[in-house]
Amino acid sequence: MEFEPMEEFEQQLREALERRPAPPSLKRKLMASRRAERPATPMPAWQRLAASVALAAVLGGAVTWRHVEERRKGEAAREQVLTALRITGHALDQINTQLAAHSRAPQE
Amino acid sequence: MHIRNMTFILATSILAAATMAAPARAQTVQLPAPPPVEKELAARASNVTEVTLGKNMLAFAAKFMNGKDKDDESTRQLIQGLDGIYVREYEFDKEGQFSAEEIEQLRKYFETSEWSPLVRERERKGGEATDVMVKLVNGEVHGMFILEVAPKELTIVLILGPVRMEDLGKLKGLGGLGALGDLEKSTKAKDKKGGAQ
Repeated sequence: MEFEPMEEFEQQLREALERRPAPPSLKRKLMASRRAERPATPMPAWQRLAASVALAAVLGGAVTWRHVEERRKGEAAREQVLTALRITGHALDQINTQLAAHSRAPQE
Repeated sequence: MHIRNMTFILATSILAAATMAAPARAQTVQLPAPPPVEKELAARASNVTEVTLGKNMLAFAAKFMNGKDKDDESTRQLIQGLDGIYVREYEFDKEGQFSAEEIEQLRKYFETSEWSPLVRERERKGGEATDVMVKLVNGEVHGMFILEVAPKELTIVLILGPVRMEDLGKLKGLGGLGALGDLEKSTKAKDKKGGAQ
């Protein structure tokens, strides 16, 4: 009688570990969840090519735009320099004329 | 003790080097801020041309002077070493649009002790005036200031940095610049007599 609790426990364990067939819906459920987890099918080659072309076009456009913009700014700066030198030249020319006239005046 | 001495010497050397390097950096000449009177003059003028180009902008502009024509090449050589260009040209519809006080304010704003007058001319009747000043560093021109006052026109030119007159002369429409130096004496003599004052 001493061993009765042990036998009861063993009985419970045996029942718990008894091999039972899986329910028929389990496989279907597992397969469905696996399909859901699977990554999307890879992009077709033509789509990848189109994406690459688009990216290259965007990058090329950006580089060209930057180059054009820099060129425009450079030309503007160049024009400003020429304007400044033209004004300087004009002022110096006038000064020269005035000074030449003054230096001639005493002789006359 | 020896290591402490070495550390002290090293620290002193670094400090000395930094102190010596500071003035070298400070030597880069900055363009002055526009004088306060300029706004009022610009408001009254019928035609205003304002050009302010710092060292960086001049270097940038020089990149676009590819030397295809002679003037381009001369201009590039001229502006390459400059620290800045500040040019103002005001054209007025009629005479008397600016006062002698305003001109004096402009003159005082730009005229500092480091500038040597090259040409100074005043005409009492018409109110015309001409000032040409140069900044000399070790006998070389390192800046040029021009203030030209005509009855209906006012021109301010400030060029900072090494100015080579021969390079200026190479540019079209700038003939006879070398004569400025020769005429300096005669102009001064005239000033003393009071003929041009």
